[in-house]
Formats: sequence, structure tokens, C-alpha cells
Amino acid sequence: MKVTIHIWDLPHRLFHWLLAASVVAAYVTAKIGGALIDWHGRIGIFILGLLIFRIVWGFIGSTHSRFVTFFPTFSRLSAYLKGRWEGIGHNPLGALSVIALLATLAVQVGTGLFANDDIAFQGPFFDFIDKDLSDKLTSWHNSSLNVLLGLIGLHLAAIVYYRAAKKTNLVKPMLTGKKEIPVALAEAIDAGHGNRAGGVRFALSLFISSTVTWGAAGGITQLSKITRITSPCCSFAWASGEITQQHQATAPATRQQQIAQAPASF
Amino acid sequence: MKKKLALSLLLTASATAAIAGPIEEQIRFRQSAYSFLAWNTGKIKKEVVDHPETFNKDYVAAAANAIAAVANSGLGELYGEGTDQGIGWKQTRLKPEFFQKKTEVTQVANTFNQAANELAKVAATGDINLIKTQFGKVTESCKGCHDLIRIKE
Repeated sequence: MKVTIHIWDLPHRLFHWLLAASVVAAYVTAKIGGALIDWHGRIGIFILGLLIFRIVWGFIGSTHSRFVTFFPTFSRLSAYLKGRWEGIGHNPLGALSVIALLATLAVQVGTGLFANDDIAFQGPFFDFIDKDLSDKLTSWHNSSLNVLLGLIGLHLAAIVYYRAAKKTNLVKPMLTGKKEIPVALAEAIDAGHGNRAGGVRFALSLFISSTVTWGAAGGITQLSKITRITSPCCSFAWASGEITQQHQATAPATRQQQIAQAPASF
Repeated sequence: MKKKLALSLLLTASATAAIAGPIEEQIRFRQSAYSFLAWNTGKIKKEVVDHPETFNKDYVAAAANAIAAVANSGLGELYGEGTDQGIGWKQTRLKPEFFQKKTEVTQVANTFNQAANELAKVAATGDINLIKTQFGKVTESCKGCHDLIRIKE
């Protein structure tokens, strides 16, 4: 006897497939380069949003999305390796792979924000650090790609292994959200009592992740400009006309202004 | 022994001097050339791709001409035998395979030259969309060389 249960909620599945598609797109655009490198940057920021969403969802999502439910603790791992683990979501080994994938993607996105390609592309936070550090982070971005590819390979190999050796389809539940499990197991782990996704919690996760994405996409740079104008130093300067003039005179000209001031013949 | 060493030193020195000065100098010149290129690609990127509202035809055309000029300057001369090892402004990142991949190197170099010259032509028209497309081809051709003969850091 088997029973069908809800295992992966809709936001979880959307996250998974959007992430898979984005990672493929990010890889292809980086390999081709040229004008597509700008799309690589945009996709990277989108992946950042997805990751933030997943982390928030890992705390307030439905049962099997939550880190507490599946986090690969030592006791869970050793129980699993001894064949004594019972559950229906990520098994401890799978959970280890999930955490590793998320962490590696976080490294990719984090370094990518500061990276440059020595041609004409710079991550949105490149200006906050010097070129040498950016080069270093770029090299990490390149080398951690190999880790990511290895983990994706393991991920796909596990799907094939489960299909062939264990006669279990892992892909279908990730598409439909539903999974068939033996009644005995369902009763043993009380599977019927998983909480639902919840619209408010979804909206909250979406709000947090889109705010961070907006910040990375240029919001932070713009915000820092605004705070610079309204900072105490400048409001003090505005108090006196004379100081204002001095302030303007000594303020570093923007690059465009410098070029405009440069003699035309030079 | 000493004689042999002196002879080989003399040979190396004369072989490289015939091209464009000692190894360190070649590396320094080419690193400078690529920094100068990066300055100019950065200018075009900013006014054509990132902030098209700031597009200034002459400013972009000047940058495109500078890129074409560097491309046409005969950079190949700076890749003499032995220049895969050495410090210019910093350690060179030229792969030793450079010297075995002459055909492929010529190909990627020609692709860059043609793309750069075409960019200068297109930039003169002031058509921002054409410039943007051609600029993409130039940066793609930069990547062609980087992937083939430049050590990834």
C-alpha cells in the first residue's frame, strides 16, 4: 500500500527549476563572452536573489524546505550510513549535497559581485575594492566553478543512480510536488502533519530576496550617493556660502568633468 | 662551462634583442598595451552599453581609434621566444603553449584585428546600436586570446 503526500511546496520547486535554468544560462553566457557577459552579470544577480529566497524559505517555508528538518547533523549522517535513517525529504547525504551546492553558489555569486574579466566587464561592487583584490576574487570565481561543476555532476549522477538502482524517480516529485511513499513509513514519521507553504510567508521571503537583489543590482551604489550628499559634512558646508564655494572647488570632479576640462588637443 | 654559459647568454640576448629588446621589456610593453586597451574598452562600454544617455560620438570614436591603433601596431613582435617566463610590470601570464599554437594564435589575433578595425569604422558613423554590436564582437575576440594563451589566475 502506498500513499501520496505533498513533499516539495510550489515556491521550493519554482526555486529549484529557476536556479537550474539560471546556472545553465550563467555558464553558457560566460563561456561565449562578448556582449553576453553583461547577461552573465544579470543572471548572477538573479541567482543571488534565488539564494537569499532559499535561505529565508529554509526558515519559514513548509516542513521539507526547512533546514531544521533536513540539516545533515552528525547523528543523522551516522544513522543514515548505518542504514537506520527513516524519512521522506532530503536524506542526510542528499542534504549534505544541497548545503554544499548552496554554499558553492554563494561563493560564486559573492566573488562575482566583485569580479572583473580584464576586458570590459566589472561586477557591480568592483568599485568598492582595488583591482588586485578583484583579480584575486575573480580567480576564486574561476576555480570554485570546478567545485560547482563537480557537485552538479554528483547531483545528476545521484538522480540516475536512484532511477536505475533504486527504481525511484527523484525528478517527478520536484515537478509535481507529490511523492508516493509506503503507508507504513507515512505513519511512522507522521507525514500527514507537514505545514503548508503559506502566502504571507512566501510574500515575506520574496520581499527580502528582491530587496537584496535590488541592492546588488545597483541600489546600494545609488543609496551611497544619496547619503554622501546628505551627510553631516555637506550640510555643515551648506551653512556658509563661502565654505560651499570652497567645498565645490575642492570636491573631486567626476571623471566626465575632468575629461570635459582637459584641453581638447591633448 | 663558463664559455658555454656565456655563449648561450649571448645567443639568447641577440635572438631577443633582434625582436623588441630583452624579454622583460617585451613583456612590459605588451602589458602596457593591454592596460591601454582596457582603458579604452572601458570608455566605450560606459558610454555605449552602461549609460547610453551619455553617448558622445567623438569620445567613443577616439577610443575606438585607439583600440584599432594598438591592434594594428604589430603586437606580435612583443611575443619573442622565451617571453612566456618573466616579469614585466608583473609576472607574465602567457602560456608556454603559445609557441606551439602558432596557427590558432594567428587566427585569434586576426579576429581581434578585424573586429577592432571594424569598430573604428563603425564608431565614425556615430550609430550607437552598430557600435554596441561591434563592440560585443571586439570583447568576444579579446576572450578568444585569453582562453587560448593566457593563464587563468
